[in-house]
Amino acid sequence: MRKYMAVLRGTAMVGMVYRFGYFFAIIGNLLYIGIVYFLWKSIYQGRETLRGLTFNETMIYIALGSTVFFLLKTYADWIIHYEIREGIIATYLIKPMDFQLYALFAVLGSTAMNIFAISIPTILFMIFVLKISFATGIGLLLFPLSFIFALVISFCIDFFVGLMGFYSESVWGISSVKEIILMFFSGALVPLQFFPEAIRNILFWLPFQAVFHTPLMMVTKPDSGLSTFIPMLAVQVFWTIALIVLTRLFYNQAIKVLRISGG
Amino acid sequence: MSLIQIQNLSKHFKILNRREGLSGAFKDLFSGDFRSVKAVDGISFDINAGEIVGYIGPNGAGKSTTIKMMTGILKPTDGTILINDHVPYTNRIKQAQIMGVVFGQRTQLWWDLPVIESFKILKEIYKVDQKTFDRHMDMFNELVGLKALYSQQARTLSLGQRMLCDITASFLHNPQVVFLDEPTIGLDISVKAKIRTVIKELNRERNTTIILTTHDLGDVEALCHRIIIIDKGKILYDGDIKKVNALFGAYRTIKVQINDFNETTIASLKNKLTERFGKDHGIIVAETEEFWTDVTIDQARTPLSDVLGFVMSNFAVSDVRIVEISMENVVQQVYDGALG
Repeated sequence: MRKYMAVLRGTAMVGMVYRFGYFFAIIGNLLYIGIVYFLWKSIYQGRETLRGLTFNETMIYIALGSTVFFLLKTYADWIIHYEIREGIIATYLIKPMDFQLYALFAVLGSTAMNIFAISIPTILFMIFVLKISFATGIGLLLFPLSFIFALVISFCIDFFVGLMGFYSESVWGISSVKEIILMFFSGALVPLQFFPEAIRNILFWLPFQAVFHTPLMMVTKPDSGLSTFIPMLAVQVFWTIALIVLTRLFYNQAIKVLRISGG
Repeated sequence: MSLIQIQNLSKHFKILNRREGLSGAFKDLFSGDFRSVKAVDGISFDINAGEIVGYIGPNGAGKSTTIKMMTGILKPTDGTILINDHVPYTNRIKQAQIMGVVFGQRTQLWWDLPVIESFKILKEIYKVDQKTFDRHMDMFNELVGLKALYSQQARTLSLGQRMLCDITASFLHNPQVVFLDEPTIGLDISVKAKIRTVIKELNRERNTTIILTTHDLGDVEALCHRIIIIDKGKILYDGDIKKVNALFGAYRTIKVQINDFNETTIASLKNKLTERFGKDHGIIVAETEEFWTDVTIDQARTPLSDVLGFVMSNFAVSDVRIVEISMENVVQQVYDGALG
């Protein structure tokens, strides 16, 4: 385990090297939130609620939504595809390490860095400058857990797409399709409340909303109660395990192809 | 018991026969037209612990494929490999612990991080304890003076510095065998010399087995006692370097550009050389490219300086180059039966 923690520390440090990148990411983020703030402020002028949501709730949903979505993009598909294409994967295969775990911890490292460098400042800005108050409840406690599941699921999907690099010399198309499906069915593009009931019921069981909608619910409506959260978490746990098994099988198969046909 | 045992090893690749042009590329999408390429074709050899073996051959000879099979990245089509009595590709993670690899064209350092961080990460990956780590780093610092580079990002290193760091990294966990795939590619003479010293020292100090693939015959000459020459997937020669040395070690070609060169120049040069050095001088004179005359000598029989001085003083020479025999030339000579 210590060796994977070293990888995690490594990618976190890479993040720090490019501190200017973070600087601009934070500025961009704050700018976005600022614009959204004034936009919705004027929409809410003289009104208490819109479609049952208060101004405060809308702000939390949009601002945290963009933060969570940003954190859950792992880019593992692009990174792994690149490593396969350029033959860099050979330098990992000569190490006493599992490549999939290596890739996962590399993602965890850069995500941890993003949380500290981008998300936390953004949230502090929201609380202390924009005076947005967050609701409290059991959801906030469940959020870290749910976020980790979401991250692992997102990683597995990206890892799966990245591995296609063994079969196809370009994963660009597959990756774009994945991105669109994920955006749409996870509720990142259109909030899930706008979907017809029947489709929403199906989506509940798919891994997409477990990536985005579930952890976001925990922070935007943390007082929804355990009866709402437990089934959602259960779906996340199911997909986490299922996707780990699935990517594992695919990885073993893909690595066999590499072993036989060369990189 | 040999550390590395290779029996009848083969690796065949299936390659799609690609057609030309856009319509060809489209047809290729549905093509099942594969040809088989024998990258490695039935090689066998044993390597003992502590040996430095030069594994050489022209481009595409199958060197890298063999190394990739030994490191467990590729699975052989046929034949067996045992390293320390284990098959590399069935227990890759465990086997990786006893191996170190340097791919000259690639780095295992973290591109964006200061070099020392890469070493620290590798220390954890290979579970090297702090004391061993410190000793190792001290030793390398003494050999090549790496300390000044520790705080630099790997991407800002020069090629030579990067290679020295990569070699340091590959020896960090004190492996039993280290594969060096073209470690001196693209480096200048002084860095090459440094790298050779380091490799020699590590082999002496720790009895590390080293398999060196290279294009530079100077590396082989400086480091190896044994040499394996491979071409088109087959072993052409496996044995003492001294025998091969005669092919490239002692031979030098003096390329001279003679003023007022004409048809008779070569004949007169030949005659004068025979007059001066006797009939059995073993000097070959030939015109290989326009304006250049090649005088190939066997230093065992006639000293380079004597021949060079003689040519210079007897002919009006406008330009001179001295070249070592090339890898392709050695392989050609081996084909021609130079090693009997």
